[in-house]
Amino acid sequence: MRYIKSLERKDLSLNHSMISLGSCTMKLNAASEMLPLSWFKWGNIHPFAPNKQAQGYLTVLKELEDQLSEITGFAATSLQPNSGAQGEYAGLMVIKAYHESRNQGHRHICLIPSSAHGTNPATAVMAGMKVVVTKSTDEGNIDVDDLREKAQLHKDNLSCLMVTYPSTHGVYESAIKEITKIIHDNGGQVYMDGANMNAQVGLTNPGNIGADVCHLNLHKTFAIPHGGGGPGVGPICVAKQLVPFLPGNPVKKTGGKKAITAISSAPFGSALACLISYGYIKMLGAEGLTESTKTAILNANYIKTRLEGYYDTLYSGERGRAAHEMIVDCRPFKANGIEVTDIAKRLMDYGFHAPTVSFPVAGTLMIEPTESENKEEIDRFCDALISIRKEIDHATIDEPNNLLKNAPHTLDMLTTDEWYFPYSRETAAYPLEYVKSNKFWPTVRRVNDAYGDRNLICTCAPIEEYMEA
Amino acid sequence: MQSHILMNTNAFALRHIGSNEDDKNQMLETIGVDSLDQLIYETIPDDIRLKNGLHLDDPMTEHEYLLHVHELSKKNKAYKTYIGLGYHPTILPAVIQRNILENPGWYTAYTPYQAEIAQGRLEALLNFQTMITDLTGMEIANASLLDESTAAAEAMSLLFAVRDRDQKKSGINKFFVSENILPQTLSLLQTRSTPIGVELVVGNEDSFNFSSEFFGAILQYPGKDGQITDIKTFISKANSANIKVAVAADILSLVKLEAPGKLGADVVVGTTQRFGIPMGYGGPHAAFFATKEAYKRDLPGRIIGVTKDVDGNRALRMALQTREQHIKRDKATSNICTAQVLLAVMAGMYAVYHGPNGLQFIADKVHNKTSELAKALRQLGFNQINASFFDTLQIKTNSKKIKRIAKAKKVNLRYPDKETVTISINETTAIRDINYLITVFAEAAIIFLKIYNAHQIF
Repeated sequence: MRYIKSLERKDLSLNHSMISLGSCTMKLNAASEMLPLSWFKWGNIHPFAPNKQAQGYLTVLKELEDQLSEITGFAATSLQPNSGAQGEYAGLMVIKAYHESRNQGHRHICLIPSSAHGTNPATAVMAGMKVVVTKSTDEGNIDVDDLREKAQLHKDNLSCLMVTYPSTHGVYESAIKEITKIIHDNGGQVYMDGANMNAQVGLTNPGNIGADVCHLNLHKTFAIPHGGGGPGVGPICVAKQLVPFLPGNPVKKTGGKKAITAISSAPFGSALACLISYGYIKMLGAEGLTESTKTAILNANYIKTRLEGYYDTLYSGERGRAAHEMIVDCRPFKANGIEVTDIAKRLMDYGFHAPTVSFPVAGTLMIEPTESENKEEIDRFCDALISIRKEIDHATIDEPNNLLKNAPHTLDMLTTDEWYFPYSRETAAYPLEYVKSNKFWPTVRRVNDAYGDRNLICTCAPIEEYMEA
Repeated sequence: MQSHILMNTNAFALRHIGSNEDDKNQMLETIGVDSLDQLIYETIPDDIRLKNGLHLDDPMTEHEYLLHVHELSKKNKAYKTYIGLGYHPTILPAVIQRNILENPGWYTAYTPYQAEIAQGRLEALLNFQTMITDLTGMEIANASLLDESTAAAEAMSLLFAVRDRDQKKSGINKFFVSENILPQTLSLLQTRSTPIGVELVVGNEDSFNFSSEFFGAILQYPGKDGQITDIKTFISKANSANIKVAVAADILSLVKLEAPGKLGADVVVGTTQRFGIPMGYGGPHAAFFATKEAYKRDLPGRIIGVTKDVDGNRALRMALQTREQHIKRDKATSNICTAQVLLAVMAGMYAVYHGPNGLQFIADKVHNKTSELAKALRQLGFNQINASFFDTLQIKTNSKKIKRIAKAKKVNLRYPDKETVTISINETTAIRDINYLITVFAEAAIIFLKIYNAHQIF
């Protein structure tokens, strides 16, 4: 127990402070959503047990599929993919099977906008497709003319478009319906990456914007906690024409009438984790889900307003608003010798986990507060970023010995007898008043990535060391 | 007069959504819009807004939901289960359940990109990797994949990617799959092979011809029906034929069996579900992927490695990130993002909890009970055909009859075909469970005897 606790203390989680990772939707997870996971009758069912013994599961999974189909505006859902990347792959394989069923198996071109998440092109290659990248406009949106040109050029071989909505730049692109129409007109299907679904639930949906299939990250939008890097659940929801191809399983019958072969080991993927999303939707209902989306947008725009004058926001919608997340530009601070990483590390001293660093634009931070953070916490976070902005003003390119470059500051370095730094210990550890009441101490100073990659050690001392835990 | 506004503090939306109405109004004022609806109007293009709301059930309070989900749980029947096929009943140590699975300090963390505030789970994941390299006998392991079958598919992709120059030049693309592989793994290999240009050939490993048309092979260890595969002979022949070998191994059996890495395997994959993780109707569980250091640049998923901080202190962080898709995009080694960190932490902690001797004890216990059962079934006259086994017996008999009796006794066995029954013993199996299993077969033996006698008379 104490060993587990000693490790837990080193990590910053949502039970300490907001983790505003753009595109990762780190919302809070209610204990009531989590409790059933420990119950014997949910834990102890074998995936290949006869259906009669799994009626509880089958009821929950069917209802969750229906809920997700309703939310996405699609005809059916498969819960089998057990991560977002698996969902992407399943979506593309279903599209492929659809083309093949129409004797169009040669369609293999996958259009991907340059702003897409790196998983998109990696998945397309795994699905045996050829990636053609389409350009972005200066405003960061899909260049519709370039897309049309490429769709027409490849119209005989066009398989699909992979598009994220709202875009990875945090913008609801108003041309989206035109974009999906161009793809359909040229014989392709539209795959929508559901990473940003938290900006859609109840207000719009993938079916409505003209997509044919989307994946969802239940571990983002539908409240499954991230678990430190999994478990995730990445279901796909599909339009009518794709339903027959939803993935099957060789042992237990599941999926569509012409099901593609398995995407995951288990027929319903990570069924136990699906209970969390089921509870989330059950307890929020239509109104609560829609209010959550609106509040997520409110929180993002509030942060955008509060940071005005301190940080520039890249990309906004046509009416000047952010979606549920925004990108703040940290590149101008290079003039002071400050990189975006320095800001990320300095945020640790303020008790915060950094937002997404350098995605989708290098040298920026992408902030997504979600609906579940309250104003107080969001204000603390904005105060921290504004305070860091002032520290940046004092930094110069000639003097790397400063608060940001030396961050994070550990308890060890602050309690040594000698202090060589040109600022006080207090400024290093307690830069704002609120930090004092609930200080989080990073346990190591900045890590050296390159050293470790050159001297690769990926195991620890013999396991016996930990045996008395 | 002061007004008291009554509110239903049990409404879940009030709990989930952080700010109250006053806070929201203040925020709207700061932004400079009159209402939330106005802000949404300014944010989302008109032509994509939904005309109607969602059709979902009315919301439940937290209390109502827990009652509801408790009622539903009663519809799940937790029979004694010996189905196997990569999933087994387990004992999750209570200290791990309460302090990790049920602890937001562990389950709400993000992927450890910010290493300085993630040393705890990085250490737990390093434990996991160490456990895997120890048990598989390989040089390097990652910090989990999604499940055994996807890990097997990743193994196929890696072996395809590391073909030598001649193999690439001559377009060698055949991959041998043992017919003893788990059915779900075979299905997934089928999904993954065609798009990347790999041709699967399924067959019996004992009659495989080691032709130069093959770049790789995958074996199940032990096989899906419980027979312990002779991977040693296979690997040595494959090695001489320049065919690389992946082994999908049962993690608990590796405690007793010779490690595939020591026998020359190139990749070892499997699931760690047996290390204390509930079956959960299929997941989530952490799979492992272990290989040779020579293939480290092609290894899929996250690897935790040791490095130093600026003061030279030991520190952990995710290593070799340049392989991953967020950097290499379509040239990445795989598309894996989310893994199964929480489950890997739990499985690693299970090994820490039991230690090497404890794991040895559990593996022995499972194996000995299986042997006792085998002996009893033989005495009842049943034909158990696995010459060597770890935890799974294969019985040639009328499976329909056994199924009827087992079902009535609330026992799940596996019935792959009309004349085969398999039984997989696990960590939770007690002596009385073995005795109970014997009664299933004893009852069947009596019926068979009656039928036999009836035939003798007429």
